[in-house]
Amino acid sequence: MMLERAGTRRTERPQHSRLEELRNAIATLHVKRDRLRIETVAVKNLKQKMDQGMPLEDHDYGDLLQLEKALLTSRHMKLKDLQSAHSLIAGYDLMECNQGKSVCVSLHTAFEGVYVETYNMEVDLTRTVQISRHNIPPYVPLEMIAKQTLQTDFKGFLQTLSLHLNALAGRKQQISLIMELGTVKVIERNQLCNFLILMCKAQEESETVLCTLEYGDLTRYLPTRVTIESENTTLVESQQWRKNRLLLLEFPVHCALLTMRKMGSIA
Amino acid sequence: MDGQAKTILQRIIRKIPNKKLEVTLKSWDRLSTEQLESLDCTQPKWLFLENLISRCGEKRLGLKAVTKLEMVYYIDNPNQGTWQAFQLMEAEDDAVSVSFTQFRERFKANLEEDFRHISIRMKKLEDGAIWIRIAWGDNFRKPNHLKPTYVVHYLQTPYVFFLNFMSKHKPFLYEALFRATRHTSIKEAHLSGRSLTALRDLVMRQYQQVFPTKDRTLKERNGTPLHPNIEKEHAEYAERRHQMACEAFGDGILPKLERAVYKLETRYRGNSSNTLNDKDELFRGVVKFSSSNLLQSFHHCVATGIVEGPVTPLLSSITQKGKNYFVITDKVPGATH
Repeated sequence: MMLERAGTRRTERPQHSRLEELRNAIATLHVKRDRLRIETVAVKNLKQKMDQGMPLEDHDYGDLLQLEKALLTSRHMKLKDLQSAHSLIAGYDLMECNQGKSVCVSLHTAFEGVYVETYNMEVDLTRTVQISRHNIPPYVPLEMIAKQTLQTDFKGFLQTLSLHLNALAGRKQQISLIMELGTVKVIERNQLCNFLILMCKAQEESETVLCTLEYGDLTRYLPTRVTIESENTTLVESQQWRKNRLLLLEFPVHCALLTMRKMGSIA
Repeated sequence: MDGQAKTILQRIIRKIPNKKLEVTLKSWDRLSTEQLESLDCTQPKWLFLENLISRCGEKRLGLKAVTKLEMVYYIDNPNQGTWQAFQLMEAEDDAVSVSFTQFRERFKANLEEDFRHISIRMKKLEDGAIWIRIAWGDNFRKPNHLKPTYVVHYLQTPYVFFLNFMSKHKPFLYEALFRATRHTSIKEAHLSGRSLTALRDLVMRQYQQVFPTKDRTLKERNGTPLHPNIEKEHAEYAERRHQMACEAFGDGILPKLERAVYKLETRYRGNSSNTLNDKDELFRGVVKFSSSNLLQSFHHCVATGIVEGPVTPLLSSITQKGKNYFVITDKVPGATH
């Protein structure tokens, strides 16, 4: 009987200390809860004062700084995330599809402030970055651009492709704008719109002049080489036509032709 | 007019329906207006042909003019026979800047080097297509105009389409194409069919493709008016199916394919204790889909719910990859090549 009672007293002691631990924990949590309650009330009061436009007292400023700091930090983090996502997709219209296994990119093209065409591309992201389908015309060197940058620099790839497509749209638009002029005839053109032969009538002697424009750089909508030919070689070498040649090199074709017409070079 | 020319003329006139005779002869641009007016297109064909031959005789039109007429006919009616698509590979740096004049000169020069007797006719159309008609001869025989090969190529793209292409002429034709377009190899595109326009639209992606977009403005067309409650529940479901069909096969007027062939080189996988299971050999089979308009049929199946989505990549590869012949092996769970 004595042994038993001794035994029970020994098991009671660990239980007793455990109880003490728990009681202490409760006390600490109570203190924390009370502190948080006071802080919440203070912030609420501060907010109320700010909403109602009442003057703030000295002790309010401490709380205000805390609040502002917290707000700023969270906003900063959110903006940082947005910025990294935006730079990752180079600012293009990207849409997730196929439960995240692929993305669909929309590339818009514009020339002189007018939207021209939109191209789409679906990129598979499962193992390597691969283009699964697209509606980009086959004369745009998509495979070559993809070979250079698709795996290593997605943003660079999109930017190069966009340059090509926008330049193509620009060259195409220029040709249709030339046809609107009426007096200049397009003799030869090709699908990439990088080779153009125009026939115009020189104003003074009604002689035909042939202008050949070659666009060596596919990312630009201005030509890299312009050749002027005519039966009348003196006309070609005249200062006026030398200026015209420079106009064709520096301005979009339809603008250059319009200027030439206004200056009286062509009909 | 010699016998060969007459045979060719007869063949063409027989094929053209009466209504189109006048238009075709006008675009031929070889007969004068009076002569054209004197011909009666409602006559039976054999009589019309006789009159036509005598008109041609008046103008001394011979084989050369008749071959032009044949080409005009094919250009206006490109969707007959069996066209095969090929793709040029390994372009040189200056492939992009080849002009039509350069192409024509190099192509002709190359073939005329190899063949003493050959007849080549070339025409460039508004849309950039170059049509080539080749009548093959050899060192001893004159060109056979009854079996010409037609080649259509779009400059600055790697695509070439052949009609009536004989294997013995392949190496020469390939070589001429390589020199003229500045490429160094060619491969079969595994796409063939009756309609040249369909093949072209598929490889050059000129049909209306549908991509997933944020704002789905596609609405179900031909919605039969039903009970409003059924419509309300049904609308979203139907729209989703329609979107799925359009993403897989396109929207609007689809390229007209007649068949798709899947050649199986896989192992038989079944769970019954068949003797087929034990064999290590490949289970060879061919699955063929035929239709007067295959893509339209597939689209309809998916859009109306006859076939459950999502669309298997085996079928959507037809439009995605622009092919209608696939070899399926075990390694890749889908179409190879």
